[in-house]
Amino acid sequence: MLSESARMTTAHEASFRVQYPNSRPRAARIIALDPESAALVNEVSKRKWNGAKFFTSLSFTAESGPGTTDQGMKAWLGDLAGRAMDLASEVAESDFVVVITAAGEDARAASVIAAACKAHNKSLIGLVVPKDGASEEDVGTSLDHLRPHTRMLVVASGRDYIETMLTALRA
Amino acid sequence: MLRKEQNDYLCQTDPGTPMGTMFRAYWMPALLSEELLEPDCPPVRLKLLGERLIAFRDSEGKLGLIDEFCAHRGVSLWFARNEECGLRCPYHGWKYDVTGQCVEVPSEPAESGYAKKVKLKNYPLIDKGGVLWTYMGPPEKTPPEPMYEFCTVPLNQTFMTKRLQESNWLQAMEGGIDSSHVSFLHRGDLSTDPLFKGAGGNKYNMQDLSPVFEVVENEGGLLIGARRNAEDDQYYWRITPWVMPCYTGVPPRGDHPIHGHFWVPIDDENCWAWSYDYHPTRPLSENEVSAMKDGKGIHVKYVPGTYRPLANKDNDYLMDRAGQKAGKTFSGIEGIGMQDASLQESMGPICDRTKENLVGTDNGIIMARHRLLRAARALTEKGITPPGVDPEHHKVRQAALLLKRDVQYKDGAKEALKVKPGVRQTSV
Repeated sequence: MLSESARMTTAHEASFRVQYPNSRPRAARIIALDPESAALVNEVSKRKWNGAKFFTSLSFTAESGPGTTDQGMKAWLGDLAGRAMDLASEVAESDFVVVITAAGEDARAASVIAAACKAHNKSLIGLVVPKDGASEEDVGTSLDHLRPHTRMLVVASGRDYIETMLTALRA
Repeated sequence: MLRKEQNDYLCQTDPGTPMGTMFRAYWMPALLSEELLEPDCPPVRLKLLGERLIAFRDSEGKLGLIDEFCAHRGVSLWFARNEECGLRCPYHGWKYDVTGQCVEVPSEPAESGYAKKVKLKNYPLIDKGGVLWTYMGPPEKTPPEPMYEFCTVPLNQTFMTKRLQESNWLQAMEGGIDSSHVSFLHRGDLSTDPLFKGAGGNKYNMQDLSPVFEVVENEGGLLIGARRNAEDDQYYWRITPWVMPCYTGVPPRGDHPIHGHFWVPIDDENCWAWSYDYHPTRPLSENEVSAMKDGKGIHVKYVPGTYRPLANKDNDYLMDRAGQKAGKTFSGIEGIGMQDASLQESMGPICDRTKENLVGTDNGIIMARHRLLRAARALTEKGITPPGVDPEHHKVRQAALLLKRDVQYKDGAKEALKVKPGVRQTSV
């Protein structure tokens, strides 16, 4: 007599797997950290997504109260329609956050986003994409900016990886 | 998550499929050298990439890998007599040499030349590092021989086994680059397995169960770094190389031999999990080889006379619920190799990736799939040689090391990740 494992691991048995969804859409926030990556994010945002929200700029205003940075500043994300959205609120409503920078660009703003993620216990993924003329040192600079803050850091050799990763994560 | 058509694209390796075409650009492990040890030894039948083949060593010691079936009436040449420099079909006496050329058709006059018109498909077979390797692509594109370090060190420094895994190759290979499962599935083995225990780095694995990952593309595939907190403002890094399409290295522990795998498709629902151990600078000790033969480390015990694991799906992998409950093992299955294989086979013959929910720490897997898809398209549409074919891409080592927190692992581990003959591995 066949064991349970032998009976249950056939292709025939695989066809009986329940067809109900096993997860709900996840709220992803994708934030470009520099103008170069902002253009990429803008392009990628035009595809069909499961509720992912894309932001192409980060700015600060001098405010106090909940959601302010250590320096007493409030951070604002710029969305694709040009609206300013409160960083802390966006992070709080998310399931995970992705920050994207082009190699060698200034990615120090990641620390502010990381602080918001930490405050709300959200996972932060960092993605470094290539830039024309960028050197190994440029990649290193980007990694320096992101490494202290991310749970997963990816250095991609192609810009098409953004879409691949977001699709894989059901963003 | 992958769409069904993407999943099919990656999982199917039969002749004519895009991924099958890509696999046929590489030298692949086909058999262990021990399977064809002597001239005129029994032939061995095998299936690779969906093709049924027969391998043999002729009277002069030459290796042959040819179509399994006699061109006359389709008899399996596993029944053949291996004699006088060829395989003779026992049905009507047709005989083939190591190139698959028919050299005798007894029922036809020798002068007719009929035998010359019959030739079975053949592939090259070379013996290197205890492994018989084959290349199944176009002869004019045969790449240079493989240069993985385990197959270039003296034979007394290396040990290779293979085991049948009853699942598609991709879900098996993905386990090799999925560093985040180690702290769960394999916990316990670090302190008990003779091929792991005692290494200084083990304590970091046990202390920090939330490693942080970095995935970096390199010429041949990927480097997947997992870092854990260590003392004195340092990180403990474990760096896993993946060389396309199916080679994965396991970061070393102390002075134990280095190990890793090849994941070679048999057909779409089975693969060979090849497991190597080697040491770059010294012979393996008797104790080490004895442990490997006993199924320790990444190796397994076998059903006698086969390469099928003793714990397999027919016996529910010898599941030990009491051991699971007592914490002897995390999953109830004994041995690292079978802990992985049991779960990967439970996904079904071909994992349905349309239903999976990946998270950020799965980026090594996401990137590997991305690179495989990209390379297979580039090869089939533009004829571009895929990464991992160039033997220079094979010269990468896995590493485990302590680095100051402000040092990039790609820089700090740069030398550690290079193969240097006669130089010990970098390990903690």
